[in-house]
Amino acid sequence: MSVTIGDPRIMLPEKIGKDAVISVRALITHPMYTGLSRDAQGRPIPAHFIDRVVVQYGGEEVARFEWTSGISRDPFVAFPLRATREAPLTITWHDNAGATFRQSVDVRFSA
Amino acid sequence: MPTGDPSRRTFVRAGALALAGIVLGTRTGLGAAPPADAGPDDLPEPVKKVLRERFGDRTPKSGHVQLDVPEVAPDSREVPVFIETDLPVDAERWVKGIHIIVDHNPDIYLAGFTLSRALGAASIDTRIKMRRSSHVRAIVETSTGELWAASRFVYTTLNGCV
Repeated sequence: MSVTIGDPRIMLPEKIGKDAVISVRALITHPMYTGLSRDAQGRPIPAHFIDRVVVQYGGEEVARFEWTSGISRDPFVAFPLRATREAPLTITWHDNAGATFRQSVDVRFSA
Repeated sequence: MPTGDPSRRTFVRAGALALAGIVLGTRTGLGAAPPADAGPDDLPEPVKKVLRERFGDRTPKSGHVQLDVPEVAPDSREVPVFIETDLPVDAERWVKGIHIIVDHNPDIYLAGFTLSRALGAASIDTRIKMRRSSHVRAIVETSTGELWAASRFVYTTLNGCV
């Protein structure tokens, strides 16, 4: 059974004013297996989930999430960020199998 | 998502409430205890254990936390959870963490979100799995070590912990 994993996405508002608190939305494709379910042949599916997410803004860590497999498949998270400067926003997702997924977007102020 | 067709939303909500009625009726019929919002002194022992491990002797107090969850989860594999707080986030004091606890899940401590004053506010929007009907608890931790909490009972129909 092949499972799609990855495709990390970060969504920012279209218009960002300096020092505004914006909503950052982040999504990644991941099965988030708990280890409690079985496949079609009845074999246990091992636990496989994103367990850590690190958020950096302008190279500085601003948030860090500790997850279990209780977060839904294709994990979504939204959180605030004060847009103090034009700088890259980078999110790194780590899973319990050692895989790392990274996405970066530029925070830019509207004219 | 939030921008849905209002008529559809109304319909979904009506359906969810009808389902809640059925579920509640069944529980009442079985003489099950109503899911009263247990206070800090009346928490299930496994939840107390998690709180002790995470926060030591500090006990969360009710207040300052808004926890938005559905009364009835149409899909227990994907239960929307929105947590926000009116606690200040500025240079002197900020929200250091938001924690999600689900009493009857395999992992009671579902997620922890470490935040910083750079965020300028404190809220988390995500989707969680639920094994069965349970209290969902949100605990907010401030940089000064205060713990504030809110909890809601969510009815589910299926085991969503897949």
